[in-house]
Amino acid sequence: MMFGRMIYMELRTGWKGLLIFGLLVLIISAGIPMIFPTYRNSLVEQLEGANKVKLELPDEQGGMITLSWEALEGATNYMVLEDNRSSMVTAKLKYTGNETSITFEKDFEEKRYYAVMAVLDETSDPVLIGIATTEKGEDPFQELLKNPVYAGLTGGRNISMIEVKGFIALEYYSWSWMLTGLFIAYLAVSVIASDFENKRMEVMLSAPISRRRYLLEKFTAMSLIALFIVLVEIAGLTWGLASINTLSEFSANTALLSLIGSLPFLMVIAAVGVLTAVFFQKVRTGMGVTFAFVFAQFFLYTFGGFSKSLEWMKTITVFKYWDYFSVIIDDVFKAGDFILLAVLSTVLVIISIKVFEKKDVPT
Amino acid sequence: MSMTREKVIEIKNLTKMYGKHVGVRDLSLDIYKGGITGFLGPNGAGKTTTIRCCLALLAKTAGEITIFGLDSHRDGVAIRKHTGYLPGDFGLIPSVKVRSYLKYLLSLSECKSTEKMESLAERLELDLGRKTNELSKGNRLKVGIVQSLMTDQDLIILDEPSGLDPLMQQEFYRILREEKRQRKTVFMSSHNLAEVESVCDIVAIIRKGQLVVVEDIHVLQEKTGKVLEVEFRDPFKINEFRFEGVSSIHKDNGRLVLTIHENLDSVIKVVSNHRILNMNLKTYSLEQLFLKYYAEEVDEGGDE
Repeated sequence: MMFGRMIYMELRTGWKGLLIFGLLVLIISAGIPMIFPTYRNSLVEQLEGANKVKLELPDEQGGMITLSWEALEGATNYMVLEDNRSSMVTAKLKYTGNETSITFEKDFEEKRYYAVMAVLDETSDPVLIGIATTEKGEDPFQELLKNPVYAGLTGGRNISMIEVKGFIALEYYSWSWMLTGLFIAYLAVSVIASDFENKRMEVMLSAPISRRRYLLEKFTAMSLIALFIVLVEIAGLTWGLASINTLSEFSANTALLSLIGSLPFLMVIAAVGVLTAVFFQKVRTGMGVTFAFVFAQFFLYTFGGFSKSLEWMKTITVFKYWDYFSVIIDDVFKAGDFILLAVLSTVLVIISIKVFEKKDVPT
Repeated sequence: MSMTREKVIEIKNLTKMYGKHVGVRDLSLDIYKGGITGFLGPNGAGKTTTIRCCLALLAKTAGEITIFGLDSHRDGVAIRKHTGYLPGDFGLIPSVKVRSYLKYLLSLSECKSTEKMESLAERLELDLGRKTNELSKGNRLKVGIVQSLMTDQDLIILDEPSGLDPLMQQEFYRILREEKRQRKTVFMSSHNLAEVESVCDIVAIIRKGQLVVVEDIHVLQEKTGKVLEVEFRDPFKINEFRFEGVSSIHKDNGRLVLTIHENLDSVIKVVSNHRILNMNLKTYSLEQLFLKYYAEEVDEGGDE
């Protein structure tokens, strides 16, 4: 059996699109680490800003809180915003005036945050001096990472955005899979469903090719493309990390092990694409369902992190079994998860074959 | 016909339902080796459904199809190694040259030789250097024809292979006759009577998913007769043309219309006694046969 003919044809007719996408992935993978030094400097500045604001708590409930801050040159006025979230999205104005210290009663139990801003003149936006919190020893920026959206992703790990590991994990890994995942989903659905829609299946299957072999070759082609993309990501990331001299903190090996874990994850997406393509035999429907599957990974995983009672949501996602944080932060490669995903993709392909063998080829 | 006629396709009680709609009902048909069998019927009669069941592109609802003695659905891959198929409608892989596309299909069939592909393309005047997405409808059909014949298959199944210009169509029929001479079996569907007339040995007529008749084309010709239409300059008597073997005589607007099974010679001699204005001899009235079945269908449709 000359297995591989269809794989070759797929790559031959699709190499241009693949090359363009590969370049995009390379630019993103190498580019994001390159942003890190600038990001870190501005974050450090902000964190130092936190020290410019001091908050003194009373010993007992109902006592007085003293909030003071360093004067900023050229400031005509100061504004203090109060919120019970570090994100300050629901902040209320607590004070406005030209003092650099205010005192007020602690008539609440929960944690509160205070952002102090300086107004330089009427026309420009206020400048943040710093943020303080009523919680002792809390770094408000660390607090931000405990926000459910982030906590859901990190698996409750303590991530520092000042370190390259934390930055790459949150600013690169947390979303780049969506790009590659959707690309693989698009490819897997379209290469098969378009054979139906464009009536090529009729000719393909009149050759001495079994439906099983047809799907296996298409799926293998998708897996090879997924591998190519993952390798480009590894190369790009390593290149980017090397260019900012951080390979000692985030090694090429870490990049390799963490990203190779996404290969079976992408293969599962490809297998879902194959299954929907043979089931619906329509590009649009198959694409819709497979895209929904990819997005569902993100939403279920994020919502699953919101509270303990929603934790079950995580376990039904496939995304959970690509734990890149485990490699990046804990230095542990979960081989079991890798195998589990590989097995899952195989099972999905076997189901696709069974479905395809029962179905009529539409005219 | 020799007694050792070998069945290549054996369809037994094939039924294919599309939900509640009947595609083919209880159809049995044998296709013998070394012949060209025409599968004739109006649109929607079930020709394509039968053919696609043979190729296992459709699941059967009931019945059995055996090809080369193998089960059509279980042994599909083995059958297709020796079967060429031209679908009624098909797409090509875009943006590759016709040659690469055909070579790709050859490789799927594990056929190394490109000789037949090249010679077929030359005979049909198909430019192998063109891109597949730049082809006209006729040229796409040529690609399909070459594809169905190029691996030197024993069985060639063609689903309505008409649509070439008349000269090319004749060349295509010549190719089919050559295949037949090499003991290849051809099974082709058509609603084009001229096509069936010019190439087929056996005709199977299908209507509303059911087989109506299977007949050797010469027997069918004899049964249906030839139709002679003559317009004379002067008056004539109908009785002059009463011969044995003339099944129907009638006058139509001063034209004489005869259906002749035998004694063509005698009829023509009598005709030649008159001054002829116009004359037309149709080789046989398969068309009328066809229309007869079709008319029945229309009638039945009216009853329902």
